[in-house]
Amino acid sequence: MAQNIAPETTVNPSPSKNNSERAVSGRDSHSVTKRLQHELMTLMMSSDKGISAFPEGDNLFKWIGTLTGPVSTAYEGLTYRLSLEFPSSYPYSPPTVKFVSACFHPNVDLHGNICLDILKEKWSASYDVRSILLSIQSLLGEPNNDSPLNGHAAELWANQVAYKKHLHEHYKKVNGDGDSK
Amino acid sequence: MTTTEQSAVNKSWELSLYELHRTPQEAITDNTEIAVSPRSLHSELMCPICLDMLKNTMTTKECLHRFCQECIITALRSGNKECPTCRKKLVSKRSLRPDPNFDTLISKIYPSRDEYEQHQERVFAKLNKNHNHASLINSIEEGIKLQIASRQKNRKNMQDDGTTPTPTPSAPSTPTPSEPPSTPTTTNTTPTSAAANSTTSSVGPRIKKQRRTSENESGPGSSNDGNPGDDAEGPSESGEIELVFRPHPLEMNEDNELIRELKDSSIRYIKTTANATIDHLSKYLAMRLTLANRTGELETELPSSLNNFCIYIAPTPDQYIGVGGSLTLEQINEKYWRVNKPMEMFYSWKKE
Repeated sequence: MAQNIAPETTVNPSPSKNNSERAVSGRDSHSVTKRLQHELMTLMMSSDKGISAFPEGDNLFKWIGTLTGPVSTAYEGLTYRLSLEFPSSYPYSPPTVKFVSACFHPNVDLHGNICLDILKEKWSASYDVRSILLSIQSLLGEPNNDSPLNGHAAELWANQVAYKKHLHEHYKKVNGDGDSK
Repeated sequence: MTTTEQSAVNKSWELSLYELHRTPQEAITDNTEIAVSPRSLHSELMCPICLDMLKNTMTTKECLHRFCQECIITALRSGNKECPTCRKKLVSKRSLRPDPNFDTLISKIYPSRDEYEQHQERVFAKLNKNHNHASLINSIEEGIKLQIASRQKNRKNMQDDGTTPTPTPSAPSTPTPSEPPSTPTTTNTTPTSAAANSTTSSVGPRIKKQRRTSENESGPGSSNDGNPGDDAEGPSESGEIELVFRPHPLEMNEDNELIRELKDSSIRYIKTTANATIDHLSKYLAMRLTLANRTGELETELPSSLNNFCIYIAPTPDQYIGVGGSLTLEQINEKYWRVNKPMEMFYSWKKE
């Protein structure tokens, strides 16, 4: 069947696809910047407690976020810094989000990588920095212990008293003094 | 499957909390107008993907969520085949349909979209400026902290050495005109040793003043009056100039209020673009001092009017020539200095 199609018609679809892709990548840089500016503005005007984010230096594609541990969890009173790097295909692909502060958690590995579905296959273009930080914040208090990156943390989770003790000792040791950071 | 659908249908017949509790409202029969703020409307008219106002609105057929045509098509092509808002399956473009009524509605509310977009650009430009300005202030404040830290450390060292821990009178307090120009011959890297040369205690790391545009200088914090220099400063690319900025040794003696406050932070090392003017310099000085005031580096409050600076250049050790506000550093360099070392400039300040 394919043999019966005139060459022009088989050739045609691909350039048109290329064209549209080029069109997308052409407006990309500007539209990504614009979208990030929108986000920055909303974040600056919002009064979300316990999360904040701001571009690092002059580069709008790399942000530093902070979040505090959710209340009445083992993480209460601890503050964490994260880095967010936005690809040029943002928001169609997720940013790379990592913990900068060391974080003892079942779903965070020793390098700060986070295992969270919405940052991978469950990403949606309507998520933003705010929703990412809120998701990670709630992940702290509700880990997914079935697929841990940090087995030790996952095992310890069952015993909340021991978990909290270990967590705070670890936090102090690695991130410096208690709540100050 | 059918059961869940049924329950969904049933659920839609239940009254919401609001509906259960609302009280009847009188119908509006007179000319009362109800105002809805653009901001509260914005979330309804916004595309959740680009966060801009909807353009060529497309609505998902099943879940009725709205996106710009361009945004949702890119999203479908590049990601999961589901609604970005609610994850309902979106098989293809055919799960969407154009929504021209909504476009009409938007154009009724915002008759001139161009104007709206221009306004937005302006807001972003301002945001950007503030963002840059904020990072500039941050770096300056960090510099100040480092200065304080190293100064305290130096004092401590002096005490440890058994030297007299007198509160380090700085260069200006010794009004011998020959003293200040014993200045750094090394240009770049040694602000500390340069400071030590001129009998000051260490002045920590030099603050590099970055000047990308003249906007950075006259941010929201400082006075925004029309500066003659701003107009003159085009995008011309000129080099950088380094200068040492000291208090005028004769006019700024120990009795001067400002000098008493500044003590050993009165000497400034500045590297800036050659097309900066004297006006920029005095503005910088004013901002710098206000900042020092705010961070608690100074013990008492400085008077609010920090604008009456006079700026001089000393081509020879005891000759101080006042320079006018619109001259650029480059011009001054050409006219008075012409030596390949940091320009030595002096400032004086009077209360009135």
